[in-house]
Parts: sequence; structure tokens; C-alpha cells
Amino acid sequence: MLKEEAEGVKMEDDDEEPPMAVQIHPDVSVGKVHSSSDTVSVGVSVITGYLGAGKSTLVNYILNGKHGKRIAVILNEFGEEIGVERAMINEGEEGAIVEEWVELANGCVCCTVKHSLVQALEQLVQRKDRLDHILLETTGLANPAPLASILWLDDQLESEVKLDCIVTVVDAKNLRFQLNERRDSSSFPEAFNQIAFADTIIMNKVDLISQEESDELEKEIHSINSLANVIRSVRCQVDLSNILNCQAYDSTHVSRLESLLEANKSLTTTDLHDSGVRTLCISEPQPINLDKVRLWLEEILWDKKSEMDVYRCKAVLSIQNSDQMHILQAVRDIYEIVPARKWSEEENRTNKIVFIGHKLDEEVLRSGLRDCRP
Amino acid sequence: MASESDASSIATLSCARCEKPAHLQCPKCIDLKLPREQASFCTQECFKAAWSSHKSVHVKAQLSSIGDQNSDLISQGWLYCVKKGQARTPKLPHFDWTGPLKQYPISTKRVVPAEIEKPDWAIDGTPKVEPNSDLQHVVEIKTPEQIQRMRETCKIAREVLDAAARVIRPGVTTDEIDRVVHEATIAAGGYPSPLNYYFFPKSCCTSVNEVICHGIPDARKLEDGDIVNVDVTVCYKGCHGDLNETYFVGNVDEASRQLVKCTYECLEKAIAIVKPGVRFREIGEIVNRHATMSGLSVVRSYCGHGIGDLFHCAPNIPHYARNKAVGVMKAGQTFTIEPMINAGGWRDRTWPDGWTAVTADGKRSAQFEHTLLVTETGVEVLTARLPSSPDVYPWLTK
Repeated sequence: MLKEEAEGVKMEDDDEEPPMAVQIHPDVSVGKVHSSSDTVSVGVSVITGYLGAGKSTLVNYILNGKHGKRIAVILNEFGEEIGVERAMINEGEEGAIVEEWVELANGCVCCTVKHSLVQALEQLVQRKDRLDHILLETTGLANPAPLASILWLDDQLESEVKLDCIVTVVDAKNLRFQLNERRDSSSFPEAFNQIAFADTIIMNKVDLISQEESDELEKEIHSINSLANVIRSVRCQVDLSNILNCQAYDSTHVSRLESLLEANKSLTTTDLHDSGVRTLCISEPQPINLDKVRLWLEEILWDKKSEMDVYRCKAVLSIQNSDQMHILQAVRDIYEIVPARKWSEEENRTNKIVFIGHKLDEEVLRSGLRDCRP
Repeated sequence: MASESDASSIATLSCARCEKPAHLQCPKCIDLKLPREQASFCTQECFKAAWSSHKSVHVKAQLSSIGDQNSDLISQGWLYCVKKGQARTPKLPHFDWTGPLKQYPISTKRVVPAEIEKPDWAIDGTPKVEPNSDLQHVVEIKTPEQIQRMRETCKIAREVLDAAARVIRPGVTTDEIDRVVHEATIAAGGYPSPLNYYFFPKSCCTSVNEVICHGIPDARKLEDGDIVNVDVTVCYKGCHGDLNETYFVGNVDEASRQLVKCTYECLEKAIAIVKPGVRFREIGEIVNRHATMSGLSVVRSYCGHGIGDLFHCAPNIPHYARNKAVGVMKAGQTFTIEPMINAGGWRDRTWPDGWTAVTADGKRSAQFEHTLLVTETGVEVLTARLPSSPDVYPWLTK
């Protein structure tokens, strides 16, 4: 380093000819908000599920696959000292695997907006030439919700990483048993959390059960979370587009949400397991008042006065005095309502809200929504 | 365009040799991050003609970059901080410094007398109670007894900061400011919370010019024209009080005065809306509105925080707009609001020491902070100025 600088000095003394002067640009891009053209953020998919369901199989399938994408897989052991984590990167076409250590910032998360995990992922993205996606494989994490909260960053942070989706791998052979397992009267198995919070559910090992059993199982999964995309697999050989680039938390990517909510079949389900965890869909044809909606949601998500525990919430909203369709997204107590796009002339403007949670009271929710009328 | 100030400064750049309007820059000056004013030329011909005298600017900058002026200190045991404070090195770490400032060596660790009650990180640098506490997820409503303790701590913290403010002038090192803070804190029977917090090496943060926050006190002497923020947190009887202010060193240019004043106003306006029922996310809207209207930007990586028996806990209070902060204010809650406002863009970078946050574009940044208590009807500023506080802001002098 000193040598470098010394050489620099020597070079300067000998310079007789001036270099070419460069054009002055209106300020360097670093400061400007709209220079984000060079920051295309890398999606992070969280993979969760019971031990033995097939998460490692999925990971190996992705790492060894010749899909032409550069994917980094972080094997994370939550619940232990979060220090240095291992990242394995699939180098693309040849499928070569590079093992790297991702050092987590392991420091003051105190007054920083980004959790050290996010900072570590950003550093990984900065170090690599081109990373197409990141998979965060969780072992020993019963509930993916805290991880989702950490990764679901404000757009304003213009981070190099963004939460793409939560994928739960379930073991088709054992799921029913796992769902019916009773710990004690006040709690229910982790499987419910993992399914309730998922955007995509991979029903793995379907070769071990019959077609009928698969159909039944899918119904059971839907009874808990009817918004998730359920895919059946053998040895986790799935089409990667189901777990990469889902953009499930992207407020501008609304078409999948829209089509779900347009569907005629009811998204409301009945609780088949007596766990109290299910999906509820309510609607309201009239435009509603945005301030009232916020207060109503905050009462449900933040105050928790009733016994209801909302895990996820997604909605398409028709807001009074706005020509924009608004989208609502919530994970536990973090929520946002943002304008998504203009309603088109022919569209039937309506409000459709889907809740996934525990002890959801349909009447209470319906009347709460009605009270949001202007 | 995000910042009007940049457009106008291009228009006024003139050739260093003939003073005609300049559109070209010396590439070596860009590399060395030297001021644009001396590096601008109207044409390649003018640049060529000026070259033999102009290039001496490069030599001077490079000589000083080798750190000759610090070699004395290095021989006395002052070293550069690296790895978030867990290590030291005698050589200036390598970095593409975003502005004129660089790391300087820091002094050896200051001692805290045995009789002072210390937080758990004082011994091994790693907080244990704090990261595992429920208070990271739930905002505490403080009891009258806790509130009284907070008032005591915050008053001490204010007096310590005022003591630091009184020694600020050109020629004083930030290390000396740290010594004043350290000694004043101990004299009051408190522990300087930053010391050894996740291995932070000093007893307060001193952030000069383009440093946004978490600057480490070091051997650099303050210069006439600098602005410097001093951030103090005192732990007294197990309770923390946190505040910071940005001060002028000697005669400061108009742009810096405006930056500091606007930042002060951002905090003032944010505090004005604090009362039960107000959403935490609203703070960001207020700060952002005022900063943007003044042509300045708001730092996004760092936020206000809950405080009490823990140094940092829930809630997290971002200072930028459209954030997803959870919760509403309730009487009995205590937290800080600490907007960091930049003359240029909002982005930040971190120095090799692992702590110092600087503006990515090298332009200046200012900050102000108070610890606040939400009351039944509004807010109590626990770290407010005292009648004895030094008179350092022209806009406060009647």
C-alpha cells in the first residue's frame, strides 16, 4: 500500500504531458435518488420447512442444476450466534459450486435501519459480478415471519436485495401427522406458521402417496392458506420460476394478486384442523376512506384487542376520491397500502381483502370493513 | 432534479487559468478527490498551458496522504481503528475516501474507575441483555420512577455535551473533545455508554463535515470552517440518556450554516408533533418535507430509537418518508429523534474502521438529537438546553 502511494508520487514528478481533461458532469450519480437505474435489486427467497421435508434436496437441485442462473444459497442456522454464515454459489452454466463465507456484520443493529443480515446480503451482492437470486435456507426456524420482517425493506432504502417470496417445503407423507400433532392446548405445530406465511408451498415426496391423498392434502393446505401457490414435486424437482422472481412483496407487481382476487371461487376456508388457522376473504363494493382503513388495520395488527391474530393480509382496495387501485400487503404488524395502477374504465371497482390468521372472526372483520365507508 | 444546489454550482465553475466558464476537469484531481474549483478548465489548451503549475496540487495532496504528519503519533502508540474497533493498525487503511477527510490514529483506551456502575458491554464489548430483551419488539411504557431516573440521566448527558461544546475551536482535536466528555461523565458518576459498545473505542462520537454519524474521536485537529457533531450518551444508575448537536468551528461558510440550521429545524418540527396517538412513521414525513424544501436530503440508513434501561430498543424511527415503522406513540414512552441531513445526496458509506458513516458524495452532513418522553398531552424534551448551556446558535440568541 505504501509502495503504491510512493510510486504515485514518483509518477507525478515525471509527468511532463498533461492527461486529457474530462467533461464535467452535473453531479456524480451517487447522490441522486433517480440514479437507481444501476441498482437492480436481487430477490431473496426464504426456504423454510420441517427437517426432512426436502429443503436440502431443493437446495442441491438448484445448486447443481444447469439453469444458467447465478444463485447464491445461504445456509442459515438461526437460533445460534449469528456470526459467519456459509454461502454456496452456483456459477451458472457449468453448475460449478463456489463456497464462500458471508460474514454477517455482527454488530450494532441498534440505530441502523437495516438488520445485519440484510447488510451481509448486500455485501455479497456487491462482491459478485452478477447474482441473479439469493436463497436463504433456514434450519431450525419455526416461524419465517421475523425473517420476512427483516427482509421486507422500505423501497426508499433502494437496497441491492429485496424479499422475493417465502417458500415452504412440506413432506407429503408426514404432513398430516405433523398438522395433527398436539403440543399443548395453547399452541399448535410449527407447520401451521410455515404454511400460513408461505407464498409458495412445495408438496414434496408426492411419489410416496396416492393421487387421492395428494388432492386431500392440497385441500388441507389450502384450508390454512388459500392464497399460496401449491406445487407438487418429487425430490423437489420444481420449475424454478415458482420460487424465483415471484415478486410477492413488490407493490408494483400486482397482476398475480389481482387474478387471485378476481377468481370466483371463494378464498374463505373452514378450519379443518381445529387449530384456528385459516383464510378469510371479505369484500365491499363501495369505495372506502383511506384514513379509516389505516386506523382499522392498525387496530387489528397493532392493538390486537380482539383474540384474532392476523399473520398475513393482502388486498385490492378501491379508495374514495382516487382513480388508483391500491394494494395492501401485511406480514404480522408491518403493513403498507400503496397505489398500484389506474383503474381502467371497464373495471368493476371493488374492495377484496384476504386475511390469513388465527381465530379470525368473520363478523367482526366484515363490520369493521363496512365502517370504513366514507 | 433532487438537488438544486448542484445545477447552479456547475454554472459558476470557471477555468482555473483564465476564468472563462469551465466544462472540463483534471482527471488526476478527480482521482485524488481534490476541490473542483482549482481543477476546472475551459479547454484542453488552457489545461495544457496550466499543467506545469497545476500539477503541484497533486504532489502536495499525495504527500500528505502518505500520513507523514501522523508518524509521530504512531510512534507514541496511537493507531488506526479497524474491524469495528476490534483491532488496530499502524498503517492508514486503504479506502476511496469520499471527501477530504480520512481516518486519523486514535489514542489508547480510557479508563473508567471501578466504582462506576457499568453496562454489560464495558467488559467484553458485547451487549448480552440488550439484544435478547423483549424491549426490542415491544415499546416500554415507563413507570413514574423510571421517568424520574431518565430525567436525571438526561440532565447529566446535557451537561456533559455542554462541557464538550465549550472546548470546540480550531486546533482542538476530536480526541480532546472525547477526553472532556469522558471525564465529565465520570465526574458525574456515570458511564459513557458508547465506550466499548460493540467494541466502539471511545466515549462519544465526533462527526466532522462529511461524516454523518459514529465518527470516532481521533488525532485530527478541528479546522476553521469545519462543522462537528458531538453525540453523547450517559449511563447513570442503569439508565441511558442520548443527545447530539452540530457545532460551528470558527467561521463557517453560508451553506454549512444553512445546513445546520435546517437540521435543527427538522428536529424541532418533528418534536412538535409528538403526542399520544401519533404514528411513529409520521416523524419521517415531517423531517423529509422540511429537508427537501430546503434542497437537502435525509439519511436513510440510521434511525431514532427507543431508550431507557437499554441503550437502543424499540421503536425504530426512520427519518425518511414512506417508511413502514410500526406503532403509535403512547404516554410514558421514551425515544430519540435524530435526523441526519445532507447537503448533497442521501447515500452513505462506511469507513474501514467499521463505524464512521460518511456521505457517499463527500458533501457535508449535520445532525441533532434529543431524548423525548411522550406525556399525556404532548412531549417533554428530557435533554433540553439548560439556562447554563453555551450560546452557540445565532438563531437561538434573542
